[in-house]
Amino acid sequence: MQIETTLAGSYPKLPTQPGDANLRVVRNRRDQGKATDQDVAEAILATTRRILAMQERAGVDIPVDGAAAWDDAQTYVARSLGGFQIAGLIRYLDTNTYYRQPEIVGAVSWERPITVEDFRAAQSMSERPVKALLPGPFSLYRFSKDRHYKSPADALRAIGAALAREAQALEKAGARWIHFEEPWIGRVRAEEASLVRAALEPLLAERTARTVIHVPFATPGAVFDAIRDLKWSAIGLDLVESSAAWDILPRVPKERIVALGLIDARNTRLEDPAEVARAVARARSARPDLDFQLSTSASLEYLPADKAELKVSRLVEAARIASRNGG
Amino acid sequence: MPRGLWTTTVGSFPKPPNLEKARNQRARGEISADALEKLEREETVKLIRRQEEIGLDILVDGELYRGDMTTYFAELMPGFAISNPVRSYGNRYYRKPIAVGPIRRKEPLTVSWWKFAQEQTSKPIKGMLTGPYTMMDWSFNEHYPSREAMAMDLAEAINEEALALQEAGAKFIQIDEPAVSVRPEELSLAVRALGRATEGLKAKTITHICYGDFDVIYPALLDLPVDMIDLEMANSRYDLLDRFHANPFTKEIGYGVLDVHSHRVETKDEVKAGILRGLEVLKPEQMYVDPDCGLKTRTVDEAFAKLRVMVDAVREVREEKGITA
Repeated sequence: MQIETTLAGSYPKLPTQPGDANLRVVRNRRDQGKATDQDVAEAILATTRRILAMQERAGVDIPVDGAAAWDDAQTYVARSLGGFQIAGLIRYLDTNTYYRQPEIVGAVSWERPITVEDFRAAQSMSERPVKALLPGPFSLYRFSKDRHYKSPADALRAIGAALAREAQALEKAGARWIHFEEPWIGRVRAEEASLVRAALEPLLAERTARTVIHVPFATPGAVFDAIRDLKWSAIGLDLVESSAAWDILPRVPKERIVALGLIDARNTRLEDPAEVARAVARARSARPDLDFQLSTSASLEYLPADKAELKVSRLVEAARIASRNGG
Repeated sequence: MPRGLWTTTVGSFPKPPNLEKARNQRARGEISADALEKLEREETVKLIRRQEEIGLDILVDGELYRGDMTTYFAELMPGFAISNPVRSYGNRYYRKPIAVGPIRRKEPLTVSWWKFAQEQTSKPIKGMLTGPYTMMDWSFNEHYPSREAMAMDLAEAINEEALALQEAGAKFIQIDEPAVSVRPEELSLAVRALGRATEGLKAKTITHICYGDFDVIYPALLDLPVDMIDLEMANSRYDLLDRFHANPFTKEIGYGVLDVHSHRVETKDEVKAGILRGLEVLKPEQMYVDPDCGLKTRTVDEAFAKLRVMVDAVREVREEKGITA
C-alpha cells in the first residue's frame, strides 16, 4: 500500500541557491525604506513558489505552502480576528523561537478571510492538493492571554466558531486538506479534556475538507479519548519527541489516518530512510486497518533551509521504501 | 538606612551602526579581524563611559564582539559546528550551534574582554556567560546520546570559564539560563548543570531567565544554585509579583522594569510604579533593577533613553523611601 507523504506546519523561508528570491533581505530593505510592501508581497509569492517546487521535485504528495507570510504560528491569523490584539514577544514553548502573544480583549469573531488568498495563490502553483494551515483553537487560546471571557469554555467556543468560518472560506476556495496546529493538546491534563473537545467539536463537525489535528512536541494521550470520535480525518503524531505517541495508535478509530511524524524537524541529524521505513512498518503491523501518512514531527522551520531540504528528500525516500515493502 | 535597588543591565547592548557595518564587511572579507577588533574595543570603551555617565551601579562590557548568545561560545569551543540561519521570529534569524563531537573549553572564552572592560572603570563589570542547559537546549545535537550528557559536558566547560573570570577578579558572574523557563520537566537537569557550572565560585552568581511559563516553574525556580535570579517583570505587567505573595522570593532578584522588545521609552512614573509594586513583596536589599532582557534589539538611542528613565526612577524611589546604594 502506498504511504502518502506530507509536511507539517511552516517551512524555512531562506533560499538554498544563490540568486533565488530572499524574503529576509527584501523585508530588511522594506524596513529601511529601500523596498515597498509590493516588493515584499512578490518575495512572499516567489518564496511560496520555491517551497512548493522543492516539494514537487522531491515527490511530496500533500505539500504545504510554507506559511511564507507568517511571522509566527499564531499572530498571522489572530491579528485579523475580531476581539484580539497582539502584545509582546514570548517564547514559543521550548523551541527557542518566539511569537507575539495574542490578547483577547473583546468578543472573538471572524470578520473576513485571512488565509484564503494565500491558499489560492499557493494552490495555483501546484498540481497537488496544497494543505492549508490554521492554528488549532485550543492552542490559540492557550497561547493567548484572555482579558475578556469569564470562562475558558466561552472563549474556546468563540475561537472555534471563528476558525470554523475561516475553514469554511478555505473550503470554498478549494482546500481539500486543512491542518490545525495543536501543540497544546499534547501538554494538558485529563481534567481539561472537555475543554479541548469543546474547542474542536463545532470546528470539525461541518468540514468538507479533510482535516488534520497535528500535535507536535508532545503526545495527546491525556485527552485523546475525549476527541477520539470527533470528525477529524487525520491525527498528526510527533513520534520523535516522545515514544508515548506510539500508545495513541491502538486508540485511533478505524478508517482514520495517522500522520506518522518520524522525521525530526528539530534536529539536523539526518535520518536513515530504511530505519524510518521500519518504523512505518511497525505502525502498519500494529494497525493494519488504518491509513498512514509519513510526515515531519513538527514544522521544518526549526531547521536551516539546507537541512530542511535534505530532510524532505529522506522523508520521501523512506516512504518509497515503506511502500515497496508493502506499506 | 536600608541599602538596595542597585542598577545594572542584563548584558547585551545594541551594536552602533558603524560596528554593524564593520561586522558585515568582516563577514565579506573586506576588513581584517584586527581592524574589526580595534573598532569593537573602541566602541566598548564608549559604551562603558555611557553606562558610567547615566549612573548605573554595575556595568557590563555590552557584548559588542558577540553575535548570538550561544553561537559566540560555540564558535570558540571544539565539538561545535555552526548551522546556516534559522528563524527565531518574523524576520529575525540566528545561526544555531550543532554538537558534532565532545564539547570542550580549550581556551578562555570571555576573560580577555572582561579584563579589558574592567580596566576602563572603577565600577564592577559583570562576567557574562551562557549557561549549560541553555547552550544544550538551543543547539542541535548530532553527537551526544542524551540531553543530559551534553548539558553536563557544557557545565564542565563553563565552570572552567567562570573560575577563570573569578581568578581575573570578577565579583559578579552571570550565567544566563533563559531556556530553563520552557521545559519544567527538565528543571532538575538545569539545576544540576548550573550547580556544576558554578562549583567553586565565591563571586556573586546570577542567572537570567525570561519569557517562559512561570506558572509552572515557580517556586521550583528558586532551587537554581545562584545568589540572584534575574527576571523580566515589565513584559508580563508585573504579574510575577502575584506569585511572590503566595511563595516569597527568597534570593536576590534582577528586577526587569524595561520592555526590551518595545520601541517605546517607558515613562519615569510607570517604572517607578513597577519598582514600588516590587517593594511591596521584596526587600530593597534583594533588588537589582534592570531591563527585562538584553538591549541588543533596540537602537543605541532607544537603549540609553530607556536606561536613563530607569536610573532616574530608581533615584526618586531611593529618595522617597530613604534607600541608599
